[in-house]
Amino acid sequence: MTAISWRITRGRGSATTQLPLAVCVVLALVIALLGRAEASIFDNARAKLTDWASPALSEIRGPLATVEDWVGGFRDLFRIQDMNTQLARENAELRKWQNVAIALDRRLKRYEQLLNAVPDPTLPSTTARIIGQSNRPFVKTLVLNAGTKNGIKKGQAVYDDRGLIGRIFLAGKKASWVILLSDLNSRVPAIIQPSNRRAILSGDNGNSPLLELDMGDMPVHAGDRVVSSGDGGVVPPDLPIGVVVEEGGELRVALFANPDLSDFVQIIDYSAPRPPSERQVLLEPPPATVAVKPPAAAVAPRASAGPAPGAPLSPATPSIPETPAPSQAHIPADETVFATQAPPPVVEETIIPRRTASTPARVASTVGLQREER
Amino acid sequence: MAGQLAMSPARVFAGFTPVLLALLAVVLVNLPVTFTGGVMPAPILALIPIYFWVLVRPDLMPPAAVLITGIAEDLLSGGPPGIWATGFLAAYAVTNRYREFFAGLSDLAAVIGFAAAVFAAASAAYGLVSLLFWRMAPLSPLLLEAVVTVAFYPLVAPVVAFIHRHIVGALRGDD
Repeated sequence: MTAISWRITRGRGSATTQLPLAVCVVLALVIALLGRAEASIFDNARAKLTDWASPALSEIRGPLATVEDWVGGFRDLFRIQDMNTQLARENAELRKWQNVAIALDRRLKRYEQLLNAVPDPTLPSTTARIIGQSNRPFVKTLVLNAGTKNGIKKGQAVYDDRGLIGRIFLAGKKASWVILLSDLNSRVPAIIQPSNRRAILSGDNGNSPLLELDMGDMPVHAGDRVVSSGDGGVVPPDLPIGVVVEEGGELRVALFANPDLSDFVQIIDYSAPRPPSERQVLLEPPPATVAVKPPAAAVAPRASAGPAPGAPLSPATPSIPETPAPSQAHIPADETVFATQAPPPVVEETIIPRRTASTPARVASTVGLQREER
Repeated sequence: MAGQLAMSPARVFAGFTPVLLALLAVVLVNLPVTFTGGVMPAPILALIPIYFWVLVRPDLMPPAAVLITGIAEDLLSGGPPGIWATGFLAAYAVTNRYREFFAGLSDLAAVIGFAAAVFAAASAAYGLVSLLFWRMAPLSPLLLEAVVTVAFYPLVAPVVAFIHRHIVGALRGDD
């Protein structure tokens, strides 16, 4: 080994003439406190820096990923036999579950038809490439090559074909940062199946995030499945997260997703329907009312707004479309529709939110199926 | 004295080389690549030039330069701001305080000396994170990163010494 010893250069100036150490330490502590209290200052700087560096990061990611794959492949050579056996076993298991999933999917569709259930609309999502990764003791993040100009917003859920990875915590114009589920700052509400017990998935920079259970008394066992609950309206419900494991007397979650193995991820544009505020309810005119066979007394005061039941429509009265709007098509002919103001409002848009709580289940089931098919 | 104050561009460049090298180390370890599939963390490479120049020429690695390097590490790594800035300054304080002792060490003892500086940085960062988040972060990732950093020292320190001798010292006319 090369001899490592350093000759001190004496009398060549001193750091004491510079900004004193104590001042620098105070500055560093102020930055730390400010970063905790007002993170946006540093987040903006970080976003700008990442935007600036993202083209270069994208360029170098390609060749570096090839080297990564090569090194990873070389490492896997030593355990190729074990991997092969394990994959064959998993494949057999997955084929069995694939058949079950297909059968259940068909049955679910039949039930939905029978119940005339509102179909789940497709959730809009954006696919982005991972151009950076930080796996440090106090932070676990990814950098993606999509930003606000691609519709990425802070808080959106990020997942790959295995399950939930994390959520966007910083969105620049061209790049964004993902806080992983295992990061110290990460808190995601979850549900444990089959007990339906609620919990908070709390990252501590370990590999498996901690599971902080609610006050319920339903038992939770190792091997139980953990999915997102959708509470808080940030992460869609029913996204697969992982399975419960027990480590040192604590319940943790072994995550399905592995960001180290992902190249592309999907970002879900989800926002839970919000109830109208009290102010909105007071200020906004009431939506169209669907009244089923109202009593005559209730109709009389509204004569100026609409004709009496059975009266012919005059040109002066607010128009009620002869052909009902698609959303009103299910209203039976013998019901009376009152329009409080023109143009006739679309009833269903004010009553049924565009995205129901069950919407992400479609995404979740798709994700699950993709995983099982693999 | 007047001659000493005259600053040629080469001399100015040489004066900034230690800080630039520390910043380069920060950029290098935060490149979006992991050759170990995420099993092994990247080393805190910037601590090596900081430790070296605080021992050899503290006027070229003042506390303000250490602070800037730490802030760069915090910004690029995506972690909470101020954490590694404080950690690097802790390493600076320990190294500067026992400068003569550390500089007298050689071979394995020199590596252990550097390990002490890494320990100071890691302890300060860990303490600050625990205080800020009011919970104990797991120690094992930090310990692993510290071990990897110390393991890199015998490889990187001779390169830093070479740069000091042939670029910084030569341009400044010191050696």
